[in-house]
Amino acid sequence: MWRATFKALVANKLRLLLTALSVVLGVGFVAGTYVLTDTMNAAFEQLFDQTAGAADVVARSSTAFDASLTEGSGGGGSEERQPFPEAVLDDVAALPDVDVATGDVQGYAQMVDPRTDEVIGGVGPPTIGTNWSELADQILDIRVGSPPAGPDDVVVDAATASNVELSVGDRIRILFQGPPREFTVSGIAGFGEADNLAGATLAVFDLETAQEVLEKEGVYDLINVVGRDGVAASELRASVAAVLPDGMEAVTSTTVADEASDTLKEGLGFFQTALLVFALIALFVGSFIIFNTFSIIVAQRTRELALLRALGASRRQVIVSVVTEACVVGLIASVVGIVVGIGIAIGLQGLLGLFNIDLPSTSIQLLPRTIIVSLVLGALVTVAASILPARRAGTVAPIQALREAEDAPPTRALIGRRLAVAVLVTGVGVAAILYGLFGAESNEATLVGLGAAVTFIGVAMLSPLAARPVAGGLGAPLRRLSIQGRLGRENAMRSPKRTASTATALMIGLGLVSMVAILAASLKASFDAALTETLKADYTLSTSSFTTFSPDVGERVAALPEVGVASAFRQDGFRVGDASSFLTAVDPATVEDVATMEVSEGSVSELGEEDTVLVHRDVAEERGWSLGDEVPARFASSGDVPLTIVGIYDENRLVGDYVVSLDTYEVVFTEQLDAFVLVTGAEGVPLPEVADSIRAAVAEFPNVQVQDQAAFREQQAGFIDQLLALVTALLLMAIVIALFGIVNTLGLSIYERTRELGLLRAVGMSRRQVKRMIRWESVIIAVFGALVGIAIGVLFGWALQQALRNQGVTEFVLPVGQLVVYLVLAGLAGVLAAIWPARRAAKLDVLEAISYE
Amino acid sequence: MEATIPEPLPSSSAARASGLRKVYGEGDAAVEALRGIDIEFVRREFTAIMGPSGSGKSTLLHCLAGLDSPTTGSVWIGDVDLTTLNEKQLTALRRDKVGFVFQAYNLVPTLTAAENITLPLDIAGRGVDRTWYDQVVDTIGLRDRLGHRPSELSGGQQQRVAGARALVSRPEIVFADEPTGNLDSRSGAELLGFLREAVSTYDQTILMVTHDASAASYSDRVVFLADGRVVDEMRGPTVDGVLDRLKSLES
Repeated sequence: MWRATFKALVANKLRLLLTALSVVLGVGFVAGTYVLTDTMNAAFEQLFDQTAGAADVVARSSTAFDASLTEGSGGGGSEERQPFPEAVLDDVAALPDVDVATGDVQGYAQMVDPRTDEVIGGVGPPTIGTNWSELADQILDIRVGSPPAGPDDVVVDAATASNVELSVGDRIRILFQGPPREFTVSGIAGFGEADNLAGATLAVFDLETAQEVLEKEGVYDLINVVGRDGVAASELRASVAAVLPDGMEAVTSTTVADEASDTLKEGLGFFQTALLVFALIALFVGSFIIFNTFSIIVAQRTRELALLRALGASRRQVIVSVVTEACVVGLIASVVGIVVGIGIAIGLQGLLGLFNIDLPSTSIQLLPRTIIVSLVLGALVTVAASILPARRAGTVAPIQALREAEDAPPTRALIGRRLAVAVLVTGVGVAAILYGLFGAESNEATLVGLGAAVTFIGVAMLSPLAARPVAGGLGAPLRRLSIQGRLGRENAMRSPKRTASTATALMIGLGLVSMVAILAASLKASFDAALTETLKADYTLSTSSFTTFSPDVGERVAALPEVGVASAFRQDGFRVGDASSFLTAVDPATVEDVATMEVSEGSVSELGEEDTVLVHRDVAEERGWSLGDEVPARFASSGDVPLTIVGIYDENRLVGDYVVSLDTYEVVFTEQLDAFVLVTGAEGVPLPEVADSIRAAVAEFPNVQVQDQAAFREQQAGFIDQLLALVTALLLMAIVIALFGIVNTLGLSIYERTRELGLLRAVGMSRRQVKRMIRWESVIIAVFGALVGIAIGVLFGWALQQALRNQGVTEFVLPVGQLVVYLVLAGLAGVLAAIWPARRAAKLDVLEAISYE
Repeated sequence: MEATIPEPLPSSSAARASGLRKVYGEGDAAVEALRGIDIEFVRREFTAIMGPSGSGKSTLLHCLAGLDSPTTGSVWIGDVDLTTLNEKQLTALRRDKVGFVFQAYNLVPTLTAAENITLPLDIAGRGVDRTWYDQVVDTIGLRDRLGHRPSELSGGQQQRVAGARALVSRPEIVFADEPTGNLDSRSGAELLGFLREAVSTYDQTILMVTHDASAASYSDRVVFLADGRVVDEMRGPTVDGVLDRLKSLES
């Protein structure tokens, strides 16, 4: 029996190769994700150990919670910790255990490319300004030039230097929380081998200058301490901690390194999960192809299986033989997939390099976990997908070995029990999605994801019902066109089950892609609506990537005579009790001139009082708050600060759920950077004039854009389109696998139809006509899959929009043009998928095809 | 019904082979299937080719039909020398000048009987000559089954549809390869009657390979093949006469 299994494997190698390809790609995606994130993890861990290694102990302010990852505007990249007075350093340095102690500051410092006048970095990784110190010398290698030695000097990281071609002696403008300043590059530094630290840009000044430009005069953010020889880090930590005032803590450098790597791991974990979701989608799509191939192979091998049965193989043995075949294919494909995954990881790493995230060279990390998960997943998916075909193989009766092979009778689409099962499965899937979107309190994403998978399976089971009529309808115009068109249509219709399961893979891909497209279109429309309904300003000042910028910008603009009101907005994360939330800080005096808030109870002006807050109506209702109640707010650097509710508003699309005054913000947050500034022109001044004067005033800040509503809207649309493109690109893998499925099924069908093709060729059908016939069949299958997929995508997209209505996705938009483009692309993909099968069909040896035995 | 008269003919020969040799394989493994055949098939004649298994009769048919290429020698359909044609031209020739009836798998399962009959014309993108089509359909006697798919027809009906398909483009010659091989004797007789009528009444030319003496008895002329050579021929064959000749060949 094993020999038969093995022989079958070898004999079917070509079709199994194509099947395996879908597993290879899916597993490759999974393995690639793991390898990439593991490698990045290892690289950063090494880097953090190295950078933390200079000091033994670090003294800093305590935080109420770790705000570095999930919240924070990210401008300076430092954690939200209160600076502390310089005097603390003297106490620490005086300790007998302490050899060296340096007081250091960190903050937002964004460099401007002197050649292009564009800001450097800021998207993603932070732009850090800090000071040079005795200890910095051990972390930073000055590669060219010298350390900063005066108020005019700056040392920049080697990655930035090489990206914008800076050399020692160049002048460079740097943006801060306060006004920008010009410096001379005195040196270029790297971190050991690495050119930068996880993509962050670094500007290093001498201590005095750093304190001045970062607005940290007389204070430090942290103290780095090195102990005398023979003093253990824990001992040193304890003695440092003993002299620190309340609200400060001393930690060992190991703790700092661990914190940094934990933060990073959490970030990478998110990245990993996101990539894995797409990888699993690819595998899921692949499983339909495996199912399909094994179904066809079993059908083709009916006589062979019957012979085995006639020779005494048990039903069980036949089933086990098919499943074993699947398992072997799955395992081999997974091994290849792991290799492909390493390739994918290396490719993606290169891609990260393009985004200036320079990784220190670490060997590629192929952890045992990656291998195990990949192998198990690959084998499991293949085996699971082969179980139904294997059971069907088990039902082959020995007598079928003796019968003449017949043309498979047209299969009945669906009847009775199977229809009921299909409807049930679809229903369960849809119910899970709906519950996940609208009912569940936790695990919503998992519920929706699994629900979607089950729905796809259900629809796949149902779609044979639609395959005949839809394929027939799609092909109807072809009937009149030519005999090839008619035959292509008939072939697509002849086995609804096969057509449906072939199209299923594409259906899933297109379902997801169109859902994303619908969501993007709805987001854009909702954003437009929000802007139209909430924004009263003539101009918006913001950065192109929604990073924060210096409040100096808003102040300069507010002072212009052409400007009526310039109202700044800051945003950051905080906690209400234990729940993370965002708040917006506004200028109570001017906010209502530039934005609509619809305050229905209390008033904005009461925000002038200390520690007050406005709350959105939904939140107030949900929490049972009314005017005068206290919001239990906690801030990372300033701890618990209860805020009194002085107003309730109805419009939260611009400002979110909590609004405080800028004054309160300054008290509770350390870093003061604006998220955007809304500006109205002074009365009687023509708008173009207003714009010109604003632009002139902010010329020193190349990161700040001055946009009217239309331009702002367009920019937002641009962001959403970018995101759409990214997600679509990640789903492309699933679509590519789906195309392999069509190639595979067509190839197998052609093999089955050898005689028929031989006949057509014998009676005079040319090779070109044969190719055209196969192509039409492929196009009909692809378009059928795309149609069903888009239909599902529309429903999913609508459900998602409904679920996100309270998060601001108020509009539902059907991007008809885009969906039509997808449909056309699917048709073209069908043509592409037909290339190889069509060529094979055309090459068919007529004589051999029509000969007997 | 009046018989339609074919177009004036440039020559009386529908198909012809001269010095036809066919060798399969090379060196020691070479098998000579046809060892030099000179033969002519005239128009409006029903010829049967007979011979024991391995005598080369199928190979001869394939070479004459342009499905297989001779190793040496020439083959003509009408005035066209097939050995000068490329693959495309051969395909067009099969489509326009040749009709086929195979032993089985004659019909495309997804097409109706009517669509199967007009298949060569549809492939060529040519219109159907309704008068001729109606004559052919009436002769096979399946007018009421034209909308059915092959799976809904009996074996005999399927073969008659195949016969109609072979004739519908008014080919130079129809090649039939054991057309009754899979049929019971009654269905076989019906099909042979139809082929006979196509030649007698409608002036078609048919070349049939068979090993069945009673099938051969429907023909005008029987050509006997053995070991890749033409060894004998007989005009106005009877079943007994054919059987006797076959027996003498095998001995």
